[in-house]
Amino acid sequence: MSLLAVEDLTKEFGGLRALDGLSVSVDRGDLVGVMGPNGAGKTTLFNCVSGIVRPDGGAVTFDGTDVTGNSPEALARAGMIRTFQLTRELRTMTVRDNVRLAATDQPGERTLPALLRTDAMESREREVDERADELIEAFELAHLADEYSANLSGGQRKLLELARALMLDPELLLLDEPFAGVNPTLTRDIADRIRELNSEGMTVVVIEHELETLTDLVDRLVVLQQGQLLVDGSPETVLDDERVVEAYLGG
Amino acid sequence: MSVVDRLPGGEGERAALIGGACVLMAALFALTPLVVALPSALYVFFEVAILYAVYGLLVLGLNLQYGHTGLINFGHVVFFAAGGYTVAMLSAQNPFAGIGLGYPWVAALVAGVLVAALLGALVGATSLRLRDDFLAIATLATAEIFHTLFVNFRGIFGGNVGLSGIPQPIAALATDGDTTLLATLLFFGGCVAFTFAAVRRLTDAPYGRVLRAVRADELVARSLGKSAFSYKMQAFVYGAALAGLGGGLFALYSGAVAPGFFTLQVTVTVWIGMLLGGAGSHRGVLAGLAIIMGLRLLSRFALDVTPVSASAFASIRLIVIGMILVAIVRYRPAGIWGNAEELGVDS
Ligand SMILES: Nc1ncnc2c1ncn2[C@@H]1O[C@H](COP(=O)(O)OP(=O)(O)OP(=O)(O)O)[C@@H](O)[C@H]1O
Ligand SMILES: [Mg+2]
Repeated sequence: MSLLAVEDLTKEFGGLRALDGLSVSVDRGDLVGVMGPNGAGKTTLFNCVSGIVRPDGGAVTFDGTDVTGNSPEALARAGMIRTFQLTRELRTMTVRDNVRLAATDQPGERTLPALLRTDAMESREREVDERADELIEAFELAHLADEYSANLSGGQRKLLELARALMLDPELLLLDEPFAGVNPTLTRDIADRIRELNSEGMTVVVIEHELETLTDLVDRLVVLQQGQLLVDGSPETVLDDERVVEAYLGG
Repeated sequence: MSVVDRLPGGEGERAALIGGACVLMAALFALTPLVVALPSALYVFFEVAILYAVYGLLVLGLNLQYGHTGLINFGHVVFFAAGGYTVAMLSAQNPFAGIGLGYPWVAALVAGVLVAALLGALVGATSLRLRDDFLAIATLATAEIFHTLFVNFRGIFGGNVGLSGIPQPIAALATDGDTTLLATLLFFGGCVAFTFAAVRRLTDAPYGRVLRAVRADELVARSLGKSAFSYKMQAFVYGAALAGLGGGLFALYSGAVAPGFFTLQVTVTVWIGMLLGGAGSHRGVLAGLAIIMGLRLLSRFALDVTPVSASAFASIRLIVIGMILVAIVRYRPAGIWGNAEELGVDS
């Protein structure tokens, strides 16, 4: 059964159809790329799926349950985490706190345990610290751990957002252009990480409009155009598809 | 700063100890035949210090709302008034006008805090889901509405004269006026210290991390599974409850409440104190409040020695306060003790 299924999804912005009856599904363990020209509706798809934008029509099913219109916080708790195309690091917080924030099941996020400083809170916080430091280290941000994230470069912000998302250990990870504005070496690093996470069992969907990066990375490509599904298949078949060539060259 | 670096939080623990000591000393003066004699020149300092302690509760609550969660509450005085009037109406014996039910003051104080919290929950429920500026408008409007109600509903709130005949428990226990003044100051100071310890613990814990994330970017907090609305609601209600506590204590100290105690001026004072000291820093906001209230006290003495009329002097005072504000915005946008990077302002 598919982990994520989107059926006949529609979203209009004042007469503009950003999503136009889109149906697509992602199986557990998949590594899927979503591509398409500017304005094709890729980000809107993520926004509708992750609860940030309410679709006008259609349904989103996550792990067998209908989650259409559910709040982002509910979906995050259910195991679906997304990153943002324009990174949204918490600028007034340190890199470390950005990552720690994402921790789940921290009783110290409730008033009473926080006031009483319970053992449960303290021991969970020690685990959180350890895990956060591991991720910060893994994404080569250790030297910046105490830096306010407003001071990070574009590429470092992308890394921070990825580290933060992984802190939640999501079942489904939705990445909106994780390579945009990132230098080639870092791009390769991030791609390796994504592949690694996927091979450990995480289901990942990556938006990207550079063809080259995606085709090397993913098992399956979904191409959108004007809010509709253009092609869905393996990278080879998709690249050979003349509609795709036309959409990109003509678009 | 990260949570773990904050965790040892010696400051909060010290504050709790100081609070305990203050309350014990207050009890000593109030409950035993022990008396003190204060030089009469000091009365005015004691009175201002007591008011400072009351406003201290307000500013700590406001700082939780604005400094940590980013909520703009321009009607903080209404929660202060809600506490004061609830205590007055429930506990007053034969008030001059309006309602006075004569219930025990302890019950009235608890009710005062709860009513302020409830009012906070109502205002929050109507506007916290909307854009940020809605809260600013809703709080300002609520404060204006209640001020009008207090003034106009004489039969309930006593109109412009307000309500008197409120029990004054510390005065009733202590031997004389001077001892009362000292015991009151100690007790209120203890309350501020305990509140400081509590908000410090709350904001040092992962709880505070979520509040600051909500302030920084609500959508990110939500995308990471934190219910931003619920946290905003909590911070808002806690701040309102603290203001209610301040209002209740104030009523039980002064023995009377009137609309004149609960004007826009109160909101303005705590806001200036907070911004001057540095929003987000509990110690900073208390210090900022001390500066602004200290200046006001100083200006009282200055009035006696300057050859201008009282009304001219009042405008001069406003101008000076305005200039101080401009100077903060210009030179220290994060306030004297505020952290510019945590507040996201350039300095
Ligand atoms: N909140 C919004 N309000 C109005 N229009 C919007 C909104 N969000 C998206 N759109 C419009 O919907 C269309 C699809 O946008 P979307 O961001 O989903 O495209 P995209 O495929 O992610 O493009 P890009 O590659 O540039 O990121 C665009 O025409 C965009 O202008
Ligand atoms: Mg996009």
